[in-house]
Amino acid sequence: MKVTVLRLALLAALLAAWELAGRAANPLLAVPPSAVVPALRDLLLLRSYPRLPASLWLTVREIGVAYALAVAAGLGCGFALGMNRLLGRAWGPMIAALYAVPAVVWYPSLMLFFGLDAASKIAFGFLLGFFPITLAVLAGVRQVNPQLVLVARAYGAGVVTVFFRVMLPSMLFTLVGGLRTGLALSVIGVVVGEILGAKDGMGALINHAYGLLRTGDYVALVLVTLAIVVGSDVLASLLERRARRWSE
Amino acid sequence: MTAAGGALIAIESVAKRYVTSSGPVDALDDISLSVAEGEFCTLIGPSGCGKSTLLGMLGGLVMPDRGRLLVAGAPVTGPDPRRVATVFQDAGLFPWRTALENVEFGLELQGVSAERRRRTASELLGPLGLRGFAERYPRELSGGMKQRVAIGRALAIDTKILLMDEPFGALDEQTRVLMGEWLLDIWRRTRKTVIFVTHSLHEALFLSTRVAVMTARPGRIKSVLELTMEYPRSMESPEMVALRAKLWSEIREESLRAMQST
Repeated sequence: MKVTVLRLALLAALLAAWELAGRAANPLLAVPPSAVVPALRDLLLLRSYPRLPASLWLTVREIGVAYALAVAAGLGCGFALGMNRLLGRAWGPMIAALYAVPAVVWYPSLMLFFGLDAASKIAFGFLLGFFPITLAVLAGVRQVNPQLVLVARAYGAGVVTVFFRVMLPSMLFTLVGGLRTGLALSVIGVVVGEILGAKDGMGALINHAYGLLRTGDYVALVLVTLAIVVGSDVLASLLERRARRWSE
Repeated sequence: MTAAGGALIAIESVAKRYVTSSGPVDALDDISLSVAEGEFCTLIGPSGCGKSTLLGMLGGLVMPDRGRLLVAGAPVTGPDPRRVATVFQDAGLFPWRTALENVEFGLELQGVSAERRRRTASELLGPLGLRGFAERYPRELSGGMKQRVAIGRALAIDTKILLMDEPFGALDEQTRVLMGEWLLDIWRRTRKTVIFVTHSLHEALFLSTRVAVMTARPGRIKSVLELTMEYPRSMESPEMVALRAKLWSEIREESLRAMQST
């Protein structure tokens, strides 16, 4: 209850500050919240951007594909490196080092390679989501207590049973954390990719509004994009809770 | 000891060498021992003499380089939870399972129905002194309780053979003595065949029908003591005091050798 009140208080304070700052500044560059409301209404009624539903759907699909690929490749690589000591020792640190490179430096080459359509955005979202998932699996495998694996084997567990009954529950928190970070980064990758250069999608609309100094529309589009991000994170936290229940 | 044909467990000329970064280490060298059904056989010896390795071999988790191990006449080729249950040194409970669920683990792997394994495990909690702790997680249990849950997990699959690797090694002395009394009670009621690894003279003399003293590495059987005294045993009887002195002199010699070699 107190938490909710504090959250709302911060939101109200930020909005008030924004309103004051927006009114004082150049109306072409700054938009107070009171000007965003009509822009958002026009946007949602498809007056300002009739392409909104198609663009939104495109962005959501790009995120979905990028994340699915990142999960599949991240789990695959993570477990391959985690289970194989030599590979893990050889390549694990390299992956961690690559993760530290600001990923946006790769984006121009992705555009050259995959073109301006969805493929380059998916590739960028994949690239961003892949590393935290792989590294979480690697860290998780290291958390598994070998003694517990031995106990399970003594009680008749084979490789598959050891994996599901011992390894997965041991690493669950780390793994789910990595999957959640991976989702957030996949979303960022796709949206940033669209803003840096795209013909369609939310990023392209944002770019368009921003380029024409339609600042009110720009903020309204950002708010809609924000809704996707918050929505995906809520979905991820629901899955996380489900996973915790399963582990107990 | 019974005739060779009657032994439930037969260890025949077993040897094991480990390759470590500082060269090969002979853990066990030419060990032979047979244990009859219903015996409580203790392995005692200096640290690093291969007691745990030998137990691991009986449990099918470690394969010998030479020799063979027979359980009920058949060579051990891997873990056999229908015949052999193991209690490990540091309990090895699954932290995401409650006490009850940990006890159920072996039955679960054997495909016993949820209802039946719950009943079996619940019935065990009473004698384990864990009634009322069924829903607790391992982190909420004391060291002695954890070890009793681990023993419960081994008893639940109701095997003829129980392997125990220093099960009370991490407990304080009072708890240890009480756990010994409790285990003796369980053993006398279930008549399982127990192979028990320990460093404690008290445990060996208080519990065993037979004590095998192992040498410093590479581990061999130095001597075997038959203990025929009635249970429960008094540690103060003249017979026991003499046995204790004899056992200590044998172990002392090997422990000194083990200390000098490292």
